[in-house]
Amino acid sequence: MGGDLVVAQSSNPPSLDAMTSSSGASRNITMNVYETLYGFNEKIEPMPILAETVEISDDGLKYRFPLRKGVLFHNGKEMTAKDVKASLERYRKVGATGSLLEPVESIDITGDYEVTLTMKRPTPTFLEAFCSPRAPAVIIPEEDGAAEVNKTSLVGTGPYKIVEFVPDSHVRLERFTDYSQDTRYDGRDGFGGKKTAYLDSATFRIIPEPGAAVAALQAGEIQILDQIPVPAARRLEDNPDIDLYENLQWAFNVFILNTNAPPTDNPKFREAVQVALNMEEIMGISTEGLFNLNPGWVYPGTTYDVGDLASAGYYNQADTARAQALLKEAGYNNEEFTILTDSNIPEHGRSAVVIAEQLKAAGINAVINQVDWPTALKLRMEDTGWNGWTLQMGIEPYLGPVAIMSTLTGKRPHFVKNDEQLDGLYQELITGQTSEERKATFAKMQTRLYETFSIIKVGDSGLMQASRSSVKNFKSFRFPRVYDIWLEN
Amino acid sequence: MTLFIVRRLLSAIPVLFVVSLMSFVIMWLVPGDITAVLGGADASPEEIERIREQVGLDRPIYERAIIWYSSLFHGDLGYSYLLDRPVVDAVLERLQVTLSLATLALVIATLVGVLLGVLAAVKHNTWLDQGSMIAALVGLSIPDFWFGIVLIILFGVTLGWLPTGGFVPITEDVLGWARSMTLPALTLAFTQMGVIARMTRSSMLDVLNQDFIRTARAKGMRAHTVVFKHALRNAVVPILTVVGVTTGVLLSGAVVIETVFSLPGVGRLIIGSIQRRDFPIIQGGLLVTASVFVFVNIIVDMLYGFFDPRVRDGR
Repeated sequence: MGGDLVVAQSSNPPSLDAMTSSSGASRNITMNVYETLYGFNEKIEPMPILAETVEISDDGLKYRFPLRKGVLFHNGKEMTAKDVKASLERYRKVGATGSLLEPVESIDITGDYEVTLTMKRPTPTFLEAFCSPRAPAVIIPEEDGAAEVNKTSLVGTGPYKIVEFVPDSHVRLERFTDYSQDTRYDGRDGFGGKKTAYLDSATFRIIPEPGAAVAALQAGEIQILDQIPVPAARRLEDNPDIDLYENLQWAFNVFILNTNAPPTDNPKFREAVQVALNMEEIMGISTEGLFNLNPGWVYPGTTYDVGDLASAGYYNQADTARAQALLKEAGYNNEEFTILTDSNIPEHGRSAVVIAEQLKAAGINAVINQVDWPTALKLRMEDTGWNGWTLQMGIEPYLGPVAIMSTLTGKRPHFVKNDEQLDGLYQELITGQTSEERKATFAKMQTRLYETFSIIKVGDSGLMQASRSSVKNFKSFRFPRVYDIWLEN
Repeated sequence: MTLFIVRRLLSAIPVLFVVSLMSFVIMWLVPGDITAVLGGADASPEEIERIREQVGLDRPIYERAIIWYSSLFHGDLGYSYLLDRPVVDAVLERLQVTLSLATLALVIATLVGVLLGVLAAVKHNTWLDQGSMIAALVGLSIPDFWFGIVLIILFGVTLGWLPTGGFVPITEDVLGWARSMTLPALTLAFTQMGVIARMTRSSMLDVLNQDFIRTARAKGMRAHTVVFKHALRNAVVPILTVVGVTTGVLLSGAVVIETVFSLPGVGRLIIGSIQRRDFPIIQGGLLVTASVFVFVNIIVDMLYGFFDPRVRDGR
């Protein structure tokens, strides 16, 4: 056992201050370094990590978190309630998703190893939201509690500690020898469990060029490639030195329609777009063949799965004649239909090209406006000037209905003009007492989305990862876990 | 000569001022900002506003301009919020990589380019001339990213002689540094070599047909003395211009080569910062690269004087 493992990823982590960044490039690294009180297990259910458990009062207003004792930070100090309070207070201020603590009235130290959250109102979905790894509510030392964004000492409680960060080059992690294993579990489980650091060190190398990353894997300079282009993976299928991992529940590809700007302000027009699209073609080209067709708004087989409810006759129709009839009914007069997309995420651009061609065939005057990612995010916040926006939703579908629907409700949903009925259902969803109740509400929401056509589900896209065959016990997950894996010659 | 240098240095000030102003204004005009990176696609308008306040983007443009210029006059290029370090440090860290790459590539490109050009001119209208120029043309025409990948597959994957990418600082391991720099420097040199070879050839052909060369030959001077001492020295000024421009281009960062070989150089720093909208790095980085260009041009002008006394004496 031991040795140094090199993982390659294409993007530079914008920050290693885990709670302030929702970037996947950061998460890949930081989730090996920091830990949260609660996190998701493999089945996406909340599990205690740094907390012993949680006790929720009957009125749903108090969350008492007793903490595990003897947990050490990378600086050698023991984690106590003071650190937890300081971390959560900082999360409220600078956390990229700090709003998830909005329902929390106060964070109080109720013992040396105990913290209690008092809620403003009962929020049955709070614990699930609190587990979100998007920009995780990690526990850091009290001394870092007042640190500005990106100014912490990068100290956590995880099995690996950060020893070097050279932007655009690499991040080096070293085994934390005093790591406090969570012996309540048998092995790793989702974001938690009993983590064992077998490797002496793990280096995350930033290799932006996919061809160069594949070459480095073949040459044995890297052992894990976080994302390998599908055509390259197919080429390496028979290579005995390489193992491939398909993760088919990685992201949703969606097409968002602006309900505020003509012609997409007309529901009939949006319906025409929905029935005109050939999802299999869009997904096949945009994902290079690694996808599942799925009309539902959650992954198949997960808690809230309601199947293809309400999608019959709308999903993957490729029905040009019906689209043309609907366009006529909508009074469409060849107005420009602008598809906003970007060049940074290849799936976005490729989807836009296929969608535009399919819509043109149905008689829609589709034009593509391809810009860079920050510009796309700026333009989509404009109320007009765009009609369709191609987006790959990564973490939200993993988190489930609440996370997805929160982007489609409120003052500024993705499709611009808010839908009161959907807003009402969202409130019902987050206050539903049991998962059965919430599932029933979610079914109504999926039905509603197939009535308004304000956002179109295109399909589920997969992630292809690769490793050298010397890497043992690796399992594809939301981030490359460098613990519980080892190298064999 | 001193007056000449002082005059050139002073004339650089307005150039750099215009560059700083333009980079500032462009950054103001470009849509999107750092919130895209920190907030992501699902950030609410409130979250975006909060991030803008944190990084000072909510301040009016004139206030930001005052801060930028007052820091600049104190020799401070600003602070990168994303990289958590002063812009000067961020650029200097990357300059080590870029300098390594540019120097090696320049040495290879100049040596090979000049030799090919001289050979082509001396053996004018022979197969050697045509062969050298075809090689130069191939270097000019082949896309550098493609050539880089071919070298990686050949020397990195198939033969396993050299690493496929990454950078090893010379201070850590000299051999490792040389190994990590070989393929990127060769790739970069191959594409730059063509320009130098073609310029050398045409410049040499002009000189070789002049009377003083004929006289030198008639005196019975040895062929290589005629070519390298008399002809090349007189043909060097246009070659120097091309080498000067190439140096400027290489020092400001060869972003494609840096990307293919995963080198953390200045080019990738600036391109990455544009994608992240890391305004201080973009503004500071552009100013540094513009300064490099100006500085290299001044050196080239001084070298003109060294090689050609007419320039030195102001004739």
